[in-house]
Amino acid sequence: MMGQGFRVRERAVLHFNVADFAVAVERVEDCRLRARPLLIAPLQAARAVVYDMSEEAYREGVRKGMPLRQATRICRGAVVLPPRIGLYHKAMLAFLKELQGYSPLIECGQADGHFFADVTGTHRLHGPPPDIGWRVRRQARNGLGINPIWTLGTSKLVAKVASRLVKPVGEYIVTAGDEEAFLAPLPVAVLPGLTSRELEQLRDFRLTTIGALAGLSRHQLMVPFGSRGDYLHDISRGIDDTAVCRPTSASETIDYQHIFADDSNDQEEVEGVVAALVSRTGCSLRGRQQVAHRVGIWLRYSDGGHVVRQSTCRNGTSGDVLLRKLALAALQRAWTRRTRIRSCRLVCDRLQRQSPQLLLFSEREGTELREKKVLAAMDALRHRFGHAVIGVGRQAVGVKGEGRGVSGEVGSTFGSFL
Amino acid sequence: MASASSGGCPGRVEVVRPATAGAPRRVCPVYVGTCGYSYTEWADSGFYPEGTKSAAMLGLYGSYFSVVELNYTWYQMARAEALSRMVENAPPQLLFAAKLTRTMTHERDDNWREQLALYRQGVAPLGKRLVAVLIQLPPDFDRSLANRNYLAALLDGLEELPVAVEFRHHSWAVDSVFAELSRRRVTMVTVDAPALPGLFPVLDVVTNPALFYGRFHGRNRDGWRSGNMQKKFDYDYSAEELHAWCVRYLPLMAVGVDQGILFFNNHVRAQAPRNGAKLATILAELAGGKR
Repeated sequence: MMGQGFRVRERAVLHFNVADFAVAVERVEDCRLRARPLLIAPLQAARAVVYDMSEEAYREGVRKGMPLRQATRICRGAVVLPPRIGLYHKAMLAFLKELQGYSPLIECGQADGHFFADVTGTHRLHGPPPDIGWRVRRQARNGLGINPIWTLGTSKLVAKVASRLVKPVGEYIVTAGDEEAFLAPLPVAVLPGLTSRELEQLRDFRLTTIGALAGLSRHQLMVPFGSRGDYLHDISRGIDDTAVCRPTSASETIDYQHIFADDSNDQEEVEGVVAALVSRTGCSLRGRQQVAHRVGIWLRYSDGGHVVRQSTCRNGTSGDVLLRKLALAALQRAWTRRTRIRSCRLVCDRLQRQSPQLLLFSEREGTELREKKVLAAMDALRHRFGHAVIGVGRQAVGVKGEGRGVSGEVGSTFGSFL
Repeated sequence: MASASSGGCPGRVEVVRPATAGAPRRVCPVYVGTCGYSYTEWADSGFYPEGTKSAAMLGLYGSYFSVVELNYTWYQMARAEALSRMVENAPPQLLFAAKLTRTMTHERDDNWREQLALYRQGVAPLGKRLVAVLIQLPPDFDRSLANRNYLAALLDGLEELPVAVEFRHHSWAVDSVFAELSRRRVTMVTVDAPALPGLFPVLDVVTNPALFYGRFHGRNRDGWRSGNMQKKFDYDYSAEELHAWCVRYLPLMAVGVDQGILFFNNHVRAQAPRNGAKLATILAELAGGKR
């Protein structure tokens, strides 16, 4: 219960969205790309799918996840570039740094150009929220060369819907108190978080606008939608109390991905790739003096389906041996189909600072100490001559492991790679 | 003779112009207001009751003033549906001035003609309650040939709407500009700002017999070029400063003009509405001969 003397302020949430983020970053890197339609897709994969595309390509019918061959047929003359996830992460961090000058409460996606900033109560320092939106956009344009959409609402929901209306460029201010009237004439498809099944059900009921949905009571919605009825009831009225969540150390991840040149279901090859990704992840963890408590394996199959499975360890580790054991356990659980695998991603999360405390038992300490010395020597070599210079026997050769970087931390700036 | 709330219109002062040879005695209504009305800070500072929600602010504002300058139309394109809802809920006496969107002034796009068409549609719901469209030009917008041509095209595009132009660059303070604005019946905004080099001077030149338009930005010399709105517009006008301004400029501006509007932009800590109320009182006293 809220204590006396406290009152809930009307929230001011800004949403920034750099449309076609990967394309925008690539165009900052090479301004010649601005003149032509651009597709981002892994080039080495036999049946690659589109990772991102420019507005011109979108207008011609190209969509994310579309097979690259089909996309290049639709959009002839498009330039195709491989995704550089690490670069997009750097751009995200650079934008985040700009935004941190205005609010400590910022939530951002994974290399997708989406940011929420809760600027409630910052007006005495930075002025009215619309002015913050405009300033951040101006700074991003002048400093980073990207032009984000910015929208303002009293919740993440309203700000997000507003940005869908102005895509690919523009701004939208939804005045506090105007949420329901703003949403009412819009199609239900612009509401975030609805499944395709729910959209289908809404179509069956001829509930095409948000206003029509808002006309139904909780009880009425509960009949077809069950427990989701409450959610639908609230979002149709612009009610959303979801907090803007600042990334914490608990939400940091280390993330590497490999896209197979040809889709594969060869166990030796896939396990070799996992070993190579583990080696890179372990090296990153040790460099940051952190341990991971959870290792996740994301498999994407050639038919577009994907599976995620995880393994955890109580004490956390940065050693390659245990990391590999966890990763292979997760792989075993994830790999349940005979369909070929297109890409494999290894994500380490629940990161924690490495404890400086020594182990109690000398024999364990001796084994671990030897392992640590070997790893330290390997890391030193990799640091000097590159990661590929040394590896364990089962590790696949030539796996670069496209770094998806470390989220939740401000590292090098966007400007440093321009 | 005059009051700070004449005819059920708070913040409206009727300045009586004496009869002259060939011209009868006339009344020039002067409306005082602020640039924007929706500031959380104004509830924190006690102008609005504590905890006032944004949706309730315009109604409360209307109990103090009868004109408001909409500044959010500078940040985003005016949208007819949103403005319709605002007008429906606004106090009936409230008049509006609307800033032209930044994509036609500070961040001019190549498609500014389309933007202008959208803007005209967007402000249409304001109807006869729209007293002026404010074209606020950026400080680097000097009187070059290209800028003169652009401004002329912009004014052509806004024809039939009441228009006011605020210059920030001193090069526009020349007779030929005043003459052209007079020919077009476009109001030139009189600005009160810090006395800094390069800024447009404070002038009492009236270019439109239908309207004079004044904007008080505050006189914070240190904050003006800080890049931070909270510093730039942090200024509290004293009664003496406002009185001196009225004595110096108002008699010349109110002559032969149908009506005038005066806005305070020093929004920080609700200084703008307080200074607005102070000015309305001073105007009423001056008009009534009490000072």
